[in-house]
Amino acid sequence: MSADNITAGAAPLLELRDVHTYYGQIHALKGLNLTVNPGEIVALIGGNGAGKTTTLKTVSGMMKPKQGQVIYQGQNISGIPSHTIMQRSMSHVPEGRRIFPQLTVRENLEVGAFTITNRKLIEQRVQEGFALFPRLKERETQLGGTMSGGEQQMLAIARALMVSPKLLLLDEPSMGLSPLFVEAIFDIVERLNREHGTTILLVEQNANMALAIAQRAYVLQTGEIRLSGNAADIASDESVRKAYLGDE
Amino acid sequence: MSAFRLHNTGDQVDLQTVMTILLQVLVGGLSLGVLYAIVALGYTMVYGVLQLINFAHSEVFITGGIVGYFVFHALQDSSMNGYLKLVLACLAAMIVSGALNVVIERLAYRPLRGAQRLVPLITAIGVSLILQDTLKFVVGLTGMFDLSVTLPKGFTSPLTKFAGIDITSLNLQVKDVILLVVATLMLIGLNLLVNHTRLGRAIRAVAHDRQTAGLMGIDSNRIISLTFLIGGALGGLGGVMYAMKYQALNAYSGMAPGMKAFSAAVLGGIGSIPGAMLGGIVLGWVETLLGVVSLFSALPGLHWLSYIKAEYKDLGGFLALILILFIKPTGLLGKSSTEKV
Ligand SMILES: Nc1ncnc2c1ncn2[C@@H]1O[C@H](COP(=O)(O)OP(=O)(O)O)[C@@H](O)[C@H]1O
Ligand SMILES: [Mg+2]
Repeated sequence: MSADNITAGAAPLLELRDVHTYYGQIHALKGLNLTVNPGEIVALIGGNGAGKTTTLKTVSGMMKPKQGQVIYQGQNISGIPSHTIMQRSMSHVPEGRRIFPQLTVRENLEVGAFTITNRKLIEQRVQEGFALFPRLKERETQLGGTMSGGEQQMLAIARALMVSPKLLLLDEPSMGLSPLFVEAIFDIVERLNREHGTTILLVEQNANMALAIAQRAYVLQTGEIRLSGNAADIASDESVRKAYLGDE
Repeated sequence: MSAFRLHNTGDQVDLQTVMTILLQVLVGGLSLGVLYAIVALGYTMVYGVLQLINFAHSEVFITGGIVGYFVFHALQDSSMNGYLKLVLACLAAMIVSGALNVVIERLAYRPLRGAQRLVPLITAIGVSLILQDTLKFVVGLTGMFDLSVTLPKGFTSPLTKFAGIDITSLNLQVKDVILLVVATLMLIGLNLLVNHTRLGRAIRAVAHDRQTAGLMGIDSNRIISLTFLIGGALGGLGGVMYAMKYQALNAYSGMAPGMKAFSAAVLGGIGSIPGAMLGGIVLGWVETLLGVVSLFSALPGLHWLSYIKAEYKDLGGFLALILILFIKPTGLLGKSSTEKV
């Protein structure tokens, strides 16, 4: 742990080197190169089917790259199953939230803390989650599946935070939410980064908002990086504005 | 039970006899029901995590009964306390059946993960047949085809008093109560395990969504193995209970009760743990009731009940299953399939 902290400033926390990922014959990622430095919010934007979700799945071990390397904390983790990777202070909030609908809110959080065996620490993290999302506290004993989409997204994020991750992968947290919830979720994401130093790789179709809170960004198109750089520069890029930010 | 006859003395029906029969059905059906329930749990838990009907579970179950037979047989002349013998029989059966179930999953089902659903299903039937013949061989080593179980002394004594009340008329033996108590404790224990422990939450998480469970750091293969272990151990315990209840079994004795326990699991809603428990008990009651219902034909207006012969009781359980599935296709406590990811 302490060794990581010393080198943290220099080495990237996450690095993808020439990553190729397939769904059967479908070549979804075509030689992706991407870095995320400690403490950053990096936005990954792009249209539907560009490969954003596949990128996150390849990082968290849900998918195995056919070629290339995923380097996390200096180690090549490509091909390691996700349950092993998730024991290394990384969390992935998957697309569509994927909370456990038949488990209560509290149980969802406790499952999120599965890799922690210290009961006191689990309880502490549950309370931290409730402090972050007071609404979850009100719903503590309710089944996850009975909550609104926005509440489920809060639960999915809180569940991912149970292990106090160094790297948080967020897949379209604003999808299908009312503007009020979107605002709240982005607020929390920014706060996590600012107050806890959590490094975040944020996938969004809502590019405007993502670029507003990110330091750097990558634009993905049909499995390849089209553009990368400072979020502010990307946000003002003519072609990006046309393609992803709704400008005519 | 069929020792009873209802006397229709004019318009006076022997109410006490009716009550006694109903009480017998209640208690007898419950003890049969909890037996079905612990076997049904093996089907439903495995279905929950793999969406696979483990047809080999009936053999895993009767393996426990056969192990139980051997333990009782080996300790037959020992002066050991009867309950201790029972504990040893149960432990041995649970270990053997649990381990057997784990091995089955490892060798037969895991390599087929990701194959079309029909493939592991047919494999399960194949495993079931292989086990039947293996068991027949093992049982054959005793030189017998049918094993008759010698229970510890006192297990078959009639039960005459409960809480100070004379219950001789219920025709219960000590072993019936043991079965009821042991199986009920198991059901409670399993409920606690599944609903209130870290492992239980992991089992439910894997059952619902294996991929996302992986994102929580849960090794789903390990959880699936543990599920087979628990389901198999419960089946093994059920086998000992079966051996104790009927005191006779052979290599094929698992089939009929296995089928009924499977029906109980479907009745309660396959994949649902409380459903398997409820389904088992409902089936136990329906079956037991059907076995004696013709006795009520002496009651006024119930003459037609004489057509429901005791032999129909097995059929009745399946009819109840069809009826309930007709009304609620997902079973009593089953979740609608759209809720599954
Ligand atoms: N389960 C799947 N099976 C086959 N192809 C898939 C699957 N998931 C995604 N794809 C394909 O991979 C490409 C990238 O998809 P995805 O990563 O989900 O894009 P995004 O998240 O950017 O919308 C798309 O062409 C999509 O059709
Ligand atoms: Mg996506």
